[in-house]
Amino acid sequence: MSDAAERLAENPFFVLGLAPDSAPREIEREAQKLLGMLELGLADAMTYATPLGPRPRTAERVRAAAAVLRDPRRRLVAELWAAAGASPIAAAGARGDAGPPGDGGG
Amino acid sequence: MADRPLYAGFDLGTSNSAAAIFDGERTQVIRNAQGGAVTPSVVRIDKQGRVTVGQRARRLLDQDPENTATEFKRLMGTGKELPFPAAGLTRKPEDLSAEILRALRSDVADQTGVTVERAVISVPALFELPQSAATSEAARLAGFERVELLQEPIASALAAGWRADDDGGGTWLVYDLGGGTFDASLLETRDGLLRVVAHDGDNFLGGRDLDWAITEHLAARLAGGGGLLLERRNPAHVAALRVLRAAAEDAKIELSRSAQAQVTLAQPLVVEGTELEVDLTLTRAEVEALTAPLVERSLDVCLRLLTAGGLAPGRLARVVMVGGPTLMPALRARVSARLEATLAEGLDPMTLVAQGAALYAATAGLDGRAAPSTRGTGKKVWLQYPPVSADLTPHVVGRFVGADPPSRVTLARADGGWQSPPAAIGADGGFVTMVNLVPRTASTFAIGAVDAAGAVIEVDPASFTIVQGLTIADPPLSRTIGVALASDQVQVYFERGAPLPSRRTFVHTTVETVAKGTAESVLRIPIVQGELEHAHLCRLVGTLELRGDRVDRTVPLGSKVELTIELDRAGCLTARAFVAAIDQVFEHVAHLLVPEAAPEALDAALADQRRHLLQMRTEAFRHGLTQVIEKLGTLEAQLAQAERDIDAAHGGDADAAQKARRTLLEIDAALADADLARKWPELVDEARWAGVVAVSTVGAYGTDAERKLLDEVMAALDRAMTAKDPAELGRQLRLMRRLTNAAYFRDPDAWERQFEIVSSDLGSSTDLPRAKQLVDDGRAAIAAGDNARLRRIVNALWELMPVDAQARRKSFDSGVR
Repeated sequence: MSDAAERLAENPFFVLGLAPDSAPREIEREAQKLLGMLELGLADAMTYATPLGPRPRTAERVRAAAAVLRDPRRRLVAELWAAAGASPIAAAGARGDAGPPGDGGG
Repeated sequence: MADRPLYAGFDLGTSNSAAAIFDGERTQVIRNAQGGAVTPSVVRIDKQGRVTVGQRARRLLDQDPENTATEFKRLMGTGKELPFPAAGLTRKPEDLSAEILRALRSDVADQTGVTVERAVISVPALFELPQSAATSEAARLAGFERVELLQEPIASALAAGWRADDDGGGTWLVYDLGGGTFDASLLETRDGLLRVVAHDGDNFLGGRDLDWAITEHLAARLAGGGGLLLERRNPAHVAALRVLRAAAEDAKIELSRSAQAQVTLAQPLVVEGTELEVDLTLTRAEVEALTAPLVERSLDVCLRLLTAGGLAPGRLARVVMVGGPTLMPALRARVSARLEATLAEGLDPMTLVAQGAALYAATAGLDGRAAPSTRGTGKKVWLQYPPVSADLTPHVVGRFVGADPPSRVTLARADGGWQSPPAAIGADGGFVTMVNLVPRTASTFAIGAVDAAGAVIEVDPASFTIVQGLTIADPPLSRTIGVALASDQVQVYFERGAPLPSRRTFVHTTVETVAKGTAESVLRIPIVQGELEHAHLCRLVGTLELRGDRVDRTVPLGSKVELTIELDRAGCLTARAFVAAIDQVFEHVAHLLVPEAAPEALDAALADQRRHLLQMRTEAFRHGLTQVIEKLGTLEAQLAQAERDIDAAHGGDADAAQKARRTLLEIDAALADADLARKWPELVDEARWAGVVAVSTVGAYGTDAERKLLDEVMAALDRAMTAKDPAELGRQLRLMRRLTNAAYFRDPDAWERQFEIVSSDLGSSTDLPRAKQLVDDGRAAIAAGDNARLRRIVNALWELMPVDAQARRKSFDSGVR
């Protein structure tokens, strides 16, 4: 699985199981509920659906997702990708996990 | 008292400390045995080894300075031991902080009858990992079972926001001038949720610096009468200067109320056996003039912060003032004028942080009372709910333990105003239900459970409480954390603002062989903290080592190291490295202390930077770069400040040495920035060229989303060019390159082109035979049209390209890339 596809599967909206037009309050409420369910090990919270199939849901992913959606700019990017997630090109998975020389990152 | 929760918060300050409690409805400041709301952060140990803390110790500061310690907070995490010669003891800063915490904890016990086991302790926003770790250690030494750390600006905002009548929507600025640090934070509240937008500050600007400015002025006036000039660099003058400084501090406080004050010494000023005559008065105007540069410096930080947050002055909803020095009338007027905002009134700047910490203890569910022994007789249920909720209708999640769970539960609010519909219980004993809260107070809910036949089942616990009010969801990380690579770049693991707790893993490659059995053969993985692009400009906070005497087998160059870094809620760091080649895990992180700052090393660094500055200025003048010239002017003032601190360091002031070290580091970063500004035309050319490449590549191979993102990046790039902001331009360039790469490698021929580029430079590879073999394999892969294999080969070839030895040395000798 390539990085780009994996990033799509980690889209905050998928992780929280919410629509891209959810209000901030709904996002906080859902994240709090999911964290509680995960803490108590309730089966219903253990996985989430993505266009690439179900993924394991962890408390870290939920926290990270809520943090991204609190930032208007990062939220906008997540909205774009969540919408693009339905398109066949993105879902087919993009390569590009290695940078060419000069891009840094070593 | 009995049934109410007790949340405790402690503000462990540089000059003063405070404690507060919160019972779910109101906060209360805890008074100490002397009746004061604040306890001076002063510890004295006498010759019998008896410890005195607070006001009583402070009075002894003048008479017995050798055995009385203060401002040790600024040395937290440095590992420096402070001597108490009378008792023949030394104590670390965390030991002394623990004494303060112990005193405050017993004040809480005196007033509430509860010895708190769990609490929240505030730390400056700019505290770094070693300093935070030392604070946690102090709490452990003071006997706390569990503490969480909270950044001071968040604590202040939480306390100020809790008291606000309105929802407090909009952006606030917290101006916190403490004894030793200055913090400015921009916060935003929306839907009752408090979020830190940005913060900035100066780890070494505080009330103490105001006091020194006044003291040095007094010393100069004394010398003006033909007398001796007292200097901080002279160890023989240190005692006399301390006496003078105490007098300066008293005069400054008196001047908050009156226009003029006499400088009265607590004891005669004796230098080398001669007593100095002191007859001085200070006026408010004089003190204002003396402290003005420092106040302006703090306001520069505020304005920089507003710019970073995209906010014009005058757009702030409110400004919250925190810290003793903010009581000075002139300072308040100046802050209000330059930020074009009104200051929040009616808040106590001395105890606001402690109150906020207590409020946060509720949010974090840290009830100070010892956990009750489980003596409930009912069916045990685990509950998850937010102890404090901004949301009026949060979820409550529960799970019954053991076999035969009830079949339904109902939650009923104790005031009788609301009851939940019955919630079904799942096969795993779990249930989820929403509850309805009363605004701005505590709501208690009784849990009612029935079995399938409708018979009531007793549950344990029988009820729980949720407070409705302002919250912060997760404490964000205050500094970016990453690994320094051999190329002097940083692999970022956690961005500033990332939610905690958090964990991330990246795979690195070793650039050096670790020979089994050789103690000298050590491969370092430096963990750094900081926002700057070059590793050597960041702060080293820990090192994970693969040592020759610890490895089971030799680890060859080019081995993969899977590194995982974990941060807990308080920002404490753990790391583990897995080396697949030898199937071994390394976990011990050498936790670094804040580096020692030897005065001689500081002298050398200062001379070096001065030379660099001079050189840059000459060039800037030659090319008529006015912006650069201006920037260099401010740096010169900072260099002068560093020099004064280094002087004090020569006189034995360890704290001033730390301050100078930090200032020099900042100047270094600013010089690099100025250097960038000098290269501006070159940078703009580069951006234009990169833009052309990006548009054609993303246009040809990008996805729709990538094209949209590219449009945004191009717009941001334009803004950065107009604003002539090299740092922002650099950031946007990086984003654009990443987008270009993603699209580029979707071209089927991309890997073949990359292969040609990297194989054209074989001569410089670190392992020529292997590189040649890879090139042969690559040709075969191209012939066979196996793109996946070709990609692996190109990656392997890149790793054989050499590391620049100089970059590596600067990058804390990092052994990975």
